[in-house]
Amino acid sequence: MTNKYYEFFCPVKVIAGKAALEHIPYELTGLAAKRPMIVTDKGVRAAGLLEPVIAACEESGLEIVSIYDDVPPDSSTSVVKDIASVYRKEKCDSIIAVGGGSAIDTGKAVNILVSEGGDNIAKYSGAGVLKHPLKPFFVVPTTAGTGSEVTSVAVITDEKKGVKLPFTSSFLLPNAAIIDPRMTLTLPPHITAATAMDALTHATEAFTCMAKNPLSDAYATAAVKKVSQSLLSVMDNPKDSDGRLELAQASTMAGIAFSNSMVGLVHSLGHATGAICHLPHGLCMSLYLPYVLEFNLESIREPLGELLLYLEGPDVYSATPASRRAEASISAIRKLRDALYKRCELPRTLKETGKVLENQLESIAKLALDDGSIMFNPREVSHEDAMAVLRRAWA
Amino acid sequence: MIVKRLQPMMSHARRSYVELMFQVMGRALQAISEVDEATRNETCELPEGFLFEMQVMPNGPKLIVEHTGNGKLLFHGDEAPRPVDLSIQFKHIAHAFLVLSFQEKTSVAFANDRMLVDGDVSYAVRMTRVLNRLESFILPRLIAERAVKEYPASIKLPEKLISAARIYLKVATQFVETVRA
Ligand SMILES: [Fe+2]
Repeated sequence: MTNKYYEFFCPVKVIAGKAALEHIPYELTGLAAKRPMIVTDKGVRAAGLLEPVIAACEESGLEIVSIYDDVPPDSSTSVVKDIASVYRKEKCDSIIAVGGGSAIDTGKAVNILVSEGGDNIAKYSGAGVLKHPLKPFFVVPTTAGTGSEVTSVAVITDEKKGVKLPFTSSFLLPNAAIIDPRMTLTLPPHITAATAMDALTHATEAFTCMAKNPLSDAYATAAVKKVSQSLLSVMDNPKDSDGRLELAQASTMAGIAFSNSMVGLVHSLGHATGAICHLPHGLCMSLYLPYVLEFNLESIREPLGELLLYLEGPDVYSATPASRRAEASISAIRKLRDALYKRCELPRTLKETGKVLENQLESIAKLALDDGSIMFNPREVSHEDAMAVLRRAWA
Repeated sequence: MIVKRLQPMMSHARRSYVELMFQVMGRALQAISEVDEATRNETCELPEGFLFEMQVMPNGPKLIVEHTGNGKLLFHGDEAPRPVDLSIQFKHIAHAFLVLSFQEKTSVAFANDRMLVDGDVSYAVRMTRVLNRLESFILPRLIAERAVKEYPASIKLPEKLISAARIYLKVATQFVETVRA
């Protein structure tokens, strides 16, 4: 299923590794920014993750002018408006988002308002509305999974209308993503596991869905290899900062892959389940991944078989006959899920989550069919198909 | 030199073809929404009065249909009575030609960044499924398999033959009516 045409774009400077945070002042100065604002959430602050960021800046004589640490898990238009007004009052000139998906999306949306003007973020919703570059914007991820530091999308809830507003523009991409192992060192096991499974799903779907291309393939396979090699060792030894860095890099690489080649049915089902049952996104990915791969199997036999090399290494790959490799890849993912269940009880079925009712499956299937990512799934999905996958994932 | 002289003719032919196919598709969308239950199951979820447009950027040929209720679609030609709710835009006439001459599947064209969606993505997903179904209805199976992601298992030969004939018939009569009027 090679495409005759593709596009690939990622202008984000990746600053990764030991003492990466200490590069922030130099990078800000390079963009003529002197008055940065930090956008983050209470969890990040409580975990003490802001201190090294602030210290890194102050040691270089760069003052963090303002810190907003009240981003909720599901960020809203009024939060964005509030932060923008603080930014203006304090005469900030750049934004550093420190956190997971929500803090990063909020940072992107605030950047639209403070760059384009006005108080109404809804006005800029949709694709291709922005026509100019925005203010200097840096992202410091504190989870290793979403890949939001390299995607051109933000989702913000309009709480008055009760709808989720999508924003898409390449101008939302940060100038730099700072990947420092210190930021994920204290991530609890459950979140480490779920977010890593999100990264694994981004890479696997990017590699097996319709918009796959040679450049995104390279990022996807490298990400799969890093997750397979490091996830369990980090689970057993959470302070392993080399392993943490591997997972953080895998997340960024998987983010680059899927933002250029999209995701498929795992995400359609995951988004629907998140909306109806309020389960964390990474957990949903882990729940559905093997069952969706089984559903897509005959359309993705070749690329899925290739992934075995990155999931299990060269010995297993060469010992497995070519005709069995796709199935072996699915088994490898199931094996990983079992290992995670043993270590932190990350649920493997909808029933094991204890938060999904069997009679909700119908509405999950219905909502999933409306999800944008279903367009890029290699197999056409009917309501019956979605129900069949959900029933397999039930118990 | 020959290439240079042929270019305008080819691009003119391509444009005419795309315009003609938009006409056929617009009428076929209306027809399929009248005869096909599965299509109506998709379209009835759209708001009443919902306007859908397919367009070639920047000001190329257009196709506009309206959901008039109960899943029924109405073809408006290339003029919308009010601003459209959902627009699928081909970046270039060459890309529209690839898709409308069934050399590239609609879903692949999306994946290949040939088209942009302006509007609610969930409606775009729905309309893509309707377009897939339409393509498998109005085309002979061999071509349809190339045009759509998967040939729907529920279309068996007799149903397909009968329905396709009915759609062709409707398209044809509407064309004749347009020419007369
Ligand atoms: Fe994801």
